[in-house]
Parts: sequence; structure tokens; C-alpha cells
Amino acid sequence: MLTMGIDIGSTACKCIILKDGLEIIARAIVPLGTGTNGARKVFEDALAVNNLTKADIDRILVTGYGRFTFDDADNQKSELSCHAKGIHFLFPSARTIIDIGGQDIKVLRVSVKGMLEKFVMNDKCAAGTGKFLDVMAGILNVNTAELGDIGEGATHEVSISNTCTVFAESEVISKLSTNVKIGDLVAGIHRSVSKRVATLAFRNGIAKDVAMSGGVALNKGVVSALGQELKTEILVHRDCQLAGALGVALFAWEEVLKGA
Amino acid sequence: MIMAEHTVQKPKRVLPKSRIMVAEQTSQVYKDARDAKARGEKIGWSTAIFPQEICETLDIPVLYPENNAASVSAKHLGDELIQHAEGPMRFPMNICSYARLNLGLADKIQDPTYNTADPLMSSPDFLLLANNSCTQLMKWYENLSRNLNVPIFFVDCLFNYYEEKPAEYKVKYIRKQIEGYIAAIENFSGKKFNWDKFLEVQKRSQINSKLFDEIIRLNARTPAPLSGFDFFNYMSCLVLCRGKESTTEIFKQLKEEVEEHIANSTSSFPAEEEFRVHWEGIACWPNLGHNLKILKNYGVNAVINGYVTAWNVVYEPGNLDSMAYAYATSSTNSLSTPSIMNMRADTIQNYNCDGMLCHVNRSCKLMTFHIFVGRNIVEEKTGVPCVNFDGDQSDTRVYSEAQFETRVQGLVEIMKQNKEARNG
Repeated sequence: MLTMGIDIGSTACKCIILKDGLEIIARAIVPLGTGTNGARKVFEDALAVNNLTKADIDRILVTGYGRFTFDDADNQKSELSCHAKGIHFLFPSARTIIDIGGQDIKVLRVSVKGMLEKFVMNDKCAAGTGKFLDVMAGILNVNTAELGDIGEGATHEVSISNTCTVFAESEVISKLSTNVKIGDLVAGIHRSVSKRVATLAFRNGIAKDVAMSGGVALNKGVVSALGQELKTEILVHRDCQLAGALGVALFAWEEVLKGA
Repeated sequence: MIMAEHTVQKPKRVLPKSRIMVAEQTSQVYKDARDAKARGEKIGWSTAIFPQEICETLDIPVLYPENNAASVSAKHLGDELIQHAEGPMRFPMNICSYARLNLGLADKIQDPTYNTADPLMSSPDFLLLANNSCTQLMKWYENLSRNLNVPIFFVDCLFNYYEEKPAEYKVKYIRKQIEGYIAAIENFSGKKFNWDKFLEVQKRSQINSKLFDEIIRLNARTPAPLSGFDFFNYMSCLVLCRGKESTTEIFKQLKEEVEEHIANSTSSFPAEEEFRVHWEGIACWPNLGHNLKILKNYGVNAVINGYVTAWNVVYEPGNLDSMAYAYATSSTNSLSTPSIMNMRADTIQNYNCDGMLCHVNRSCKLMTFHIFVGRNIVEEKTGVPCVNFDGDQSDTRVYSEAQFETRVQGLVEIMKQNKEARNG
């Protein structure tokens, strides 16, 4: 039996098709968020992987900010529980999950069974989120996806003191005009993100193992800096950006078993 | 597909008689002030928990800027005044939004043609300030005093950082100030203070506080007979008219209505009560409608909150020490974080709450910043989840509808898990 989970985020849509609640048979990511045709496209892309149609899917659930906007879904779930469930599938030992998305930072504590126990989210501010990195990448004239590699070349990390994305942008621009190395600047940007996220994580309490989900988890610079701030190893799965979609696909499987 | 009811339009419900009485009472308060001004008599503006018994005894109309700001904000009329305070008046945006709104209004009403704010306050001749709810009030009222050229009668209340109960010297200090201001306001107003009437006002205040407490306690039942948000509507009786007979009549009517709900197994909560939460913090006045809509959609009744009980100023009539003690402690803002949050934990248990929803009110640092540490106290003591959301009591720039719903949904998922685990 096949279930589908779609995570309609603020900046990207992700989709997973799960077979019998165990095997991921399709993955798709579209860099278009809620309010666009991203959800429709990721839905079609995921089906296309195995030449499937909607009729082949036994249940479709959605999560994310755009979860109320996809008519082909059978139900919707809060992204918090979905991230918890998805990461638990990928890393059963994880008790703290840090999800850095396009606009949100979420820190979740989960039980040994992967149930959500408590959570904190960022205040109404983009500092430390994917949006922060997008803005910085724009100033540096690079792709956001390249930041991790660029930061690896740092020799003298440059401190970015402003937490506000807009003010930090000004700060980076002024530092660029003093000919600092791009790698050193990027390392400073990663440090800024990690400090902001770490503060939130400490507020929620850290229980090992710590795992990350969300697109920013693909940035090895941020992961490394955050690990230093939290003084612990951080687990990152190749499917980290799909954790929400995976989690909601797993919820869909549970509903199928209950005869929904 | 199951969707949250974003677009369902429901007809407005018929207001109960008690709510109509509240509206009439509030109108009368503002009318009394206008009429007094027209007669050339003095009126005052007061902070929320100043000893109201003094002016009530002297029959001097008093208006309450914080309550007014809440009403103006709830009617979505506050932005203009806040912008006026931040713009030409140059107040910074990081001070309390009640202060910004009121300072803006105080300036606007000097123009006799101004009439946009609702309710519209009459300009004060004096100010009554007690800092038992916060110290920012001092600067707010200092600015009012300077801008309007009116005096302040200031009851200085000391905070209780490490004590469960205020020390004796604090009670003496407040008592002395109350005695002093009785004489001072008598002299300022030219009206004679009647101690027999003062005793009657004290007794009436206790009757009203006791009645309100009885009504609130009825909401500890499961399911609750009232939507907890309804308490926000009745607070004004205790803020504006704590010592008046009209408040007694309103509360008697309200109690009847609640008891009728209990007898008929009905509730003013507009959905099936699936979860009960304690609401921590001041209301999000401009966004109350959205708060209630989302909570209703998820079957969450905020059955009790710490804010509404702040005006239960309980003391022994005829005993000034007892009255001074009550004013030193009635607002939990004057207590330490462990004191406040232990009280919240007890309330959560007494009201059978499944969770706690905390309004991180950007304007009221004192009332909400304790949440970041305090939620751990509550979670450990009660085992219920606590969730925060960002908002503001009057400033509309802080609240985000999508963020509120996401956090409520997360809270509901944990409460649901816990409930299923309890029920096996």
C-alpha cells in the first residue's frame, strides 16, 4: 500500500511516497513554497518517479504552512509532529530535533517513541533561518547551496554581530568593502545562525541524540558551527529536508491501518 | 479533506443580559466623567490597581487608561494613536503599547474636535498611580503629568522578589500613603471624605471581588459553562467599578447565567470542549477574534487566565493594614517568578487544564518574560505542555495569524497524545 506525504513550506515543497509504511519509493523537492504551484508540481514529480497516478496512492496527507491549500489531500497534520515522526524514522535515537526552514526555526523534544513532548519556535524574526542565509548568499553573489563549501575555506572567521537579517546584510556589505575573504565571512554567517539557533535549543533543553531536519541542515558549515555551540554531535540524514514529508506520509500510513 | 474553518461565516451570537449591562455600565462611567467636566469638576485617570476606594468615596469620576487602551485596541482603533505617539511625539516603539496609545490619545484629545477613539476619554485633572503592576507606569504617568500639566498621586508599592508575602514595613509604607492621599485628594478636590461611606465602599468592593471569584470558580467544572475568553469582557467591571453596586448587579446576573448553563449542560464556548488550557498573559486585544476562532476550531477552551484574577483585591473592610497588604500583592506582577508560576501550576491543576498557552506580549515584559523560565516550573509541577506565541496587547504589528495557529496546533497534538496515553 502506498501513502504520500507533502510538506508545503514557505520556500519549498517536498514530497515522499512510502510503501507499506517502511520503504521510501519516491522523493521530490521543488523550490517553490506555499501560494505557488509548487505543491502541484512536487506531487506530480513524485508520482512520475515510478509512473504512478493519484489513484495508486491509498492516502495523501499534507503538512507545512500551506497545508490547507492542497485539495487533493485527504487530511492535514501539524508540521511539528511530522518532523518528529520523520526524524524518528531516520534516527530512532534522536531526542532533540532542530529544524531550520525557510522562515522558522523549531526545536523539538521527542520521546523514545518519537512522540512530541515539547517545542519552541523562533520569535517573529528571520534571524537564523533559511531566509537569513538566502539574503547573505544574495549579497555574496553565490547560491545558498554553495555556502557550506565556501565556509570550509575559512581561516579567520569574521564576526557578524547583528542578529537582524536586514542589519546583518548591511554589516556584511560593509565588511566586503574591507576586502575580507568570502570564506571567512561565510564562516561568520554560519556562526551567527548557529548562535541564534543554539539559544533557542538551550531554552527547550537538550537531550541526546541531536538531529537536524530542514533544508539548512544540508549546509555543513551551519551544522558544524551548531555542533560547536551545543557541544555535541549533530546527526544529519541525506533526507533531512524531507523529514516533514516523510513524517506525514507515516501518519498517512497509520490512518490507512486504522481504516480511515 | 478536513480543513480548519478559515472561511466559515457564522451569525453573531445574541449577547447575554450581563454583557449588555457591562456595556451600559462602561458607557455610564465615561458619561459621568464628561458630565463632571461639564460642571467644572475634577476627574482623574488611574492605573489599574490604584486604591479605587478613595475616589469612589469622594464621588470623583475616574477613568482607566489601560482599560481604555484595551477597548480601543479591541475595536481596532489603536493604530492611529500609536503612530501619533511614535511619530510627532517621538516615543520609542519598544515601550508598552498601552502607554503609546494613551499618550497619543491624551495629546489628541486636547483638540476638542477629535472624536475617533472609542471609548473617548475626557482629559484628566489629576493622575492616580500605583506601580504594583509595573514600574514603566511611572514614566508613562510622569509624561502624562508633564504633557497635561496635572499632578500625580503616587502609591509606591514595593516588589516582592524573594518573599511569598510582603514584609511588614512594606504594608506600613503603603498604608501610610493611602492615608496621606485620602487627605491630599480631599484637599485637591475640595470634597469632604466620609469614613462611613469609605467603609461601605470597602464592603461593596469585597462583595464584588467575592462574587467574581465564585463565578470564576464555576469554570473549573468540566466541561466549563463559560468560554474563558468571556472573562475578558467582565474584567472591566472590576477595573472601572470595583466599589459600585452596578457591578454587584452585573455579577449576580452573570452568576445566574452561568448556573443556568450548568443546569442545562450548555456553555458559552462555541464548540465542543476537547481541551482546556490556562491562558497566560494579557489578552491580544486586537486579535481576540482570531484567537478565539482558532481555539474554537481545535476545541480548545481557555477556561482560566491569570490576568482576570488580578483585580480580586481581597481585604477586611475597616482594616487599612489588610487593604494595604491587598494592594501590595493583588497583581502577580509584584511577585517573584517562582511565586507566580507555582500559583499558575495550582490553577492548572484546580481547573483540570491540559496545557498552558502563553501570550508573549511584547509590550508587557514584566508580565510575560517570566514565561521563559516559568514554563519549566509549570511543566515539571503539572506535567502539562506549555506553548508560547508572539503577540501584543495593542500593537498590531507583532501578531502573526499563521504562527499562532501553528503553535496552537502543536500544543493540541501534545495534549491529544497525553490524553490518549492517560485513557490507555
